[in-house]
Amino acid sequence: MGLVCPLIGSYLVLRRTVFLGLTLPEVAAAGVAFTFWMQQTGILPQLGQSERGIAMIGSLVFTFLGMGLLGYLEQRGKGLAEGRLAAAYALAGGLTILFMVFNPVGQIEVLNLLKGEVIALSRGELKLILGVFGLVFVAMVMFRREFLLTSFDRDLAFLLKGRQVIWDVLLYLLAGLIIAFGVIMAGPLLIFGFLVLPALAARPLVNRMTSFLALSAVLGLVMAFWGFYSSVRLDLPLGPTDVTLGCCLIFLAYGLRRVSAKSIGAVVILVFATASITGCSATTAVTPVPEAKAVRSDRIWLAKIKNSTGLPLLLPSTNPLRSAGEMIGKVSSDYRQNVMDLLRDGLRQELQQNGYRVTFPEETDARFPPFSSDTNAAVQLGRDGKLSGLVFVSEIWRWEGYPQQFVRVFVDFKLVRLEDGAVLWDRRVQRAVPTPSSTHLGQAYTDAINAVVHEIFG
Amino acid sequence: MRVVDVTQSSGGRASNNESLPLVSLQNVDLGYDSTAVVQGVNLTIYSGSLIGLAGPNGSGKTTLFRAILGLLPILGGSLSRNCPLSNFGYVPQSASLDPQFPLSVAEIVEMGAYGRVQPYQPLPAEEKERIKEVLDQVGMQQLAAKSFFACSGGQKQRILIARALMVKPKIMILDEPLSGVDEESRRSITDLLIKLAREKNIAVFFSSHDLEMVQRVADKIVRVDKGNVWLEERKTGLAP
Repeated sequence: MGLVCPLIGSYLVLRRTVFLGLTLPEVAAAGVAFTFWMQQTGILPQLGQSERGIAMIGSLVFTFLGMGLLGYLEQRGKGLAEGRLAAAYALAGGLTILFMVFNPVGQIEVLNLLKGEVIALSRGELKLILGVFGLVFVAMVMFRREFLLTSFDRDLAFLLKGRQVIWDVLLYLLAGLIIAFGVIMAGPLLIFGFLVLPALAARPLVNRMTSFLALSAVLGLVMAFWGFYSSVRLDLPLGPTDVTLGCCLIFLAYGLRRVSAKSIGAVVILVFATASITGCSATTAVTPVPEAKAVRSDRIWLAKIKNSTGLPLLLPSTNPLRSAGEMIGKVSSDYRQNVMDLLRDGLRQELQQNGYRVTFPEETDARFPPFSSDTNAAVQLGRDGKLSGLVFVSEIWRWEGYPQQFVRVFVDFKLVRLEDGAVLWDRRVQRAVPTPSSTHLGQAYTDAINAVVHEIFG
Repeated sequence: MRVVDVTQSSGGRASNNESLPLVSLQNVDLGYDSTAVVQGVNLTIYSGSLIGLAGPNGSGKTTLFRAILGLLPILGGSLSRNCPLSNFGYVPQSASLDPQFPLSVAEIVEMGAYGRVQPYQPLPAEEKERIKEVLDQVGMQQLAAKSFFACSGGQKQRILIARALMVKPKIMILDEPLSGVDEESRRSITDLLIKLAREKNIAVFFSSHDLEMVQRVADKIVRVDKGNVWLEERKTGLAP
């Protein structure tokens, strides 16, 4: 996507039709929301497709309908082109929200799709996307002369190549394909960013069309890799991270234009050197939880795990009668297991394996709340509760599951000595844990818990 | 209204008959949305002729060019072409080209070869050689790697003439080639046009709102003003 989108986007920038790159992804997003709503109401039959497959159909249909309508209005020549695109953008944005409101059941799914979770693609979907993007890439390279001539000098294009409308249609068809599939893969914000930002960043740095296209594609790749890396490392949403990085590239490009070629070379080398060093430091070996012998203490307090997600993190019930009772308010949801309890149970077993005698603080005083991962707060709480020795604290900041795909986790763990507040070991697990074999959310959560526990104990 | 493309009716091949005009217009009306801007144009263009089109701004000079190039349908009369459109070298006003495009001089000239190169085909070596030749012909070879939009007005015009030459034209149509150009460049461009007509036997049809200059250079002058068109033969001139 980082490679192919900028090639299309370069022409949108040069043709001064950037707003089309903003409007069409929004139209595609409306198509996704509409298809889900139609299926929810039963008007569209269940096709046995995956959620993403259904979304692709809606995205494609709406994108090409939108392009057809905009093209028809362009032919009629009524009103300003920018006005038409702005109105279409506003309408598509509004419709996306309305379709989601009409379909509260599918709201979460639609939102997830529009957020663009690239790593959630199945193998089949990945092959399809590779096929489509590969086809577009080949077409963009093969017809680069025709697209350039038609975009730059339509009169000469007519004299040399005949009716230039064929090339216009082909270019917009390729743009439509990229946008329709890209929206499902990365969401409307990111697809717009990939279309336009690398081309805008490349423009001030080059004076040749071939260099412009090549640099746009390279900057698109830089944006994709660094954006993805930053997003995972810093636990930031991918779309906004990539777009912010793309905007930084534009500022950097205009800054670089003011300095000499030698200085640019030095800056590029410096950036890559920094990147390499950062990359190496990220691979520093992590240590597992120390064994009891290593810390010369076999007794450990395993505190309740603090849930700072704002979500209950309950596992779904496997008992349909109880679920029904819960829905009508006759049964409390307390009977259901939650992630904190399961994770704590896993920690207890592993700590025992490491030679610790594990005790729960609430066994001495039932009023003990979960311990925060903040060392001072944990030490204070332990001392207030008259605990001594070692305490193992955990705090969950993020826990989002996608059955058959992954669970995005962000958990802090610490082993703290209460006497002097020393942190003997700590670990942050912040990543997407793949759970491909899970068929439901409960299983995905359980698989992720096992993976996390296994990871911190080595 | 009648448009005849002789090359179409002869199987796409240009006629070798040199006595046939490359372009012939008989009583042609031109305009937009059925409203005539220029009426009753009668004109024949032969190989090697140097024709100037003179008239004030907005008189319909570009409209006439666009009709000859097939970019604008004629409203009445008859227009015939004796060579395919791909043999027309068109030089637009450089100001009409979008400076947003990052294009080097060589890339601009290369566009003239696009009609002969298939989409999947890399640019053949002989076309690369020809780019050097035509740039040399217009005295711009040293600027091949320079950004086109960083060139002066006179340089841009000569580069666009090189692009038109790249087409291997039988006829060249130049829309205001001398506008926004300094005196020295004017002289070198007019010399180049005369040379192309005399030495390369290319028909050259150019427009200008500077009647005096057109009268100095052209063999034949087409005057256009207030919707009327008439032909004048050159009385005096510098052409060899």
